[in-house]
Amino acid sequence: MKRHRVAITGLGLINPYGEGDVADFFSRIMRGESAIRYHTLGNSPRPLALPLVACSHFNPIETLGPPLANAMDRFSHFAVASALSAWQDSGLAKPANRDDYGVSWGTGSGGSLTIERGYQTLYFENKEKVSPLSVVLAMNNSAASHIAIQLGLGGPCVTSTVACASSSIAIGDAFRLIREGRINLMLAGGSEAPLSYGVIRAWQAMRVLSDGDEATAYRATRPFSKNRSGLTLAEGAAALVIENWDHARARGARIYAEIVGYGNTCDRTHIARPDSAGQSRAIVAALQDGGLHPDEIDYVNAHGTSTVEGDAIEIQSIKSVFGGHAGKLAVSSTKSMHGHSLGAAGAMEALITALALYRQAAPPTANVTEIGADCAGVDHVLGLGRSNVPIRAALSNSFAFGGSNAVLAFRSVAAQE
Amino acid sequence: MPHENEKNDLELIRNFLKDRIGPAQTEKIVPEATLTDLGIDSLMQVELLFEFEDKTGISVPTDIPPPKTVGELLQQLKEIRSRQAIK
Repeated sequence: MKRHRVAITGLGLINPYGEGDVADFFSRIMRGESAIRYHTLGNSPRPLALPLVACSHFNPIETLGPPLANAMDRFSHFAVASALSAWQDSGLAKPANRDDYGVSWGTGSGGSLTIERGYQTLYFENKEKVSPLSVVLAMNNSAASHIAIQLGLGGPCVTSTVACASSSIAIGDAFRLIREGRINLMLAGGSEAPLSYGVIRAWQAMRVLSDGDEATAYRATRPFSKNRSGLTLAEGAAALVIENWDHARARGARIYAEIVGYGNTCDRTHIARPDSAGQSRAIVAALQDGGLHPDEIDYVNAHGTSTVEGDAIEIQSIKSVFGGHAGKLAVSSTKSMHGHSLGAAGAMEALITALALYRQAAPPTANVTEIGADCAGVDHVLGLGRSNVPIRAALSNSFAFGGSNAVLAFRSVAAQE
Repeated sequence: MPHENEKNDLELIRNFLKDRIGPAQTEKIVPEATLTDLGIDSLMQVELLFEFEDKTGISVPTDIPPPKTVGELLQQLKEIRSRQAIK
């Protein structure tokens, strides 16, 4: 089967820092600026305040207009807004009305806000009925469908729900469809709106959330550090326009990076505890799929959630695959700044990795003063990002609860020309 | 009083739909207008009936046929009111 090359030609996101565009987002990431703040949750039966990344500035009514905004859950608001932004960035006409274009979207818990609201209505307000839109608001595939409707994309419209690997898998599957020549273009990415009382309490019960107060919240996520203490929940979305290379070239599109490989494995060991063997197999699979030698990789955007166990296992996996090259391999976890947006995290980090290749700049891990002994052995980019560094190829890791691992491999366009 | 109710029902429909189809469209919500032309789909109709129940305390039967125009919808609401009054 002929393999088609796959280009990334459009990027969009809900910027966790505020109103700025993708360039503003990336410059803040390069400066090591954290978007994590101490938030008090509204509408909760008991007081609840913790470090979070909340996109409070995002106004769905203003961005999407009342008819559309009122017909969607928050995770779909994020999805459509980020997709429209990526579409505009790619220079494509709207609506496309093309059946050779599709959508591949990721979300971990979809319309959990709608579900929680429904339970409140039935159990606490003692009403007999919920909104007739409840099903179409809450279903996980509603975000993808709304994107397809808004942009006129008539090809496959699929949704991946694989916890924290959801949107990496959505991008990986979109990449495969284009590489196999089954479709010309996919709008791929992910969105998550998990900041509800019930969802946060569930994550707290797992004892994986980092603590903090007004003064310290910004450094709640400290991946790979000696004193790391857990992750920070985030809401948001990122979208990428992924396109057949020749199709992109023919229309004169800007190409941020090439997607060349995708590895997808399951640990098959434990529902929550990560496993180095499973992760390593995913990294190797992505390298082989992309025809990449380990020495060609100059940057890894790690999953790096800042949990004690998870970070150490990921570094162990990287070292086992890269061997002697690991010490020269720039590694960072940008979750230290944008938090962990669960099903959207893979897309957000794929966006960052594409920009790292396009700008030849390695983003940092923020908030770390001392690397943990169990996370040593790679070239950690700490504090500030490194500009003007040669990045020939890069990986983005996503390792999910359930033991599902997804690794995306990218090549720099500049390095090839 | 019946006329008053009809006027109120039209106002209720307009207020409810203001956010759904945009404030600029509310002037087009007249008895002759078809629901399809106004962009009111079947789910929105159910939302509207729920709103009517919440605002008036009158329960709407589940088996009413889907109306085609705003006028038909107003007539249905009028009949539901009158049945409620007989009870």
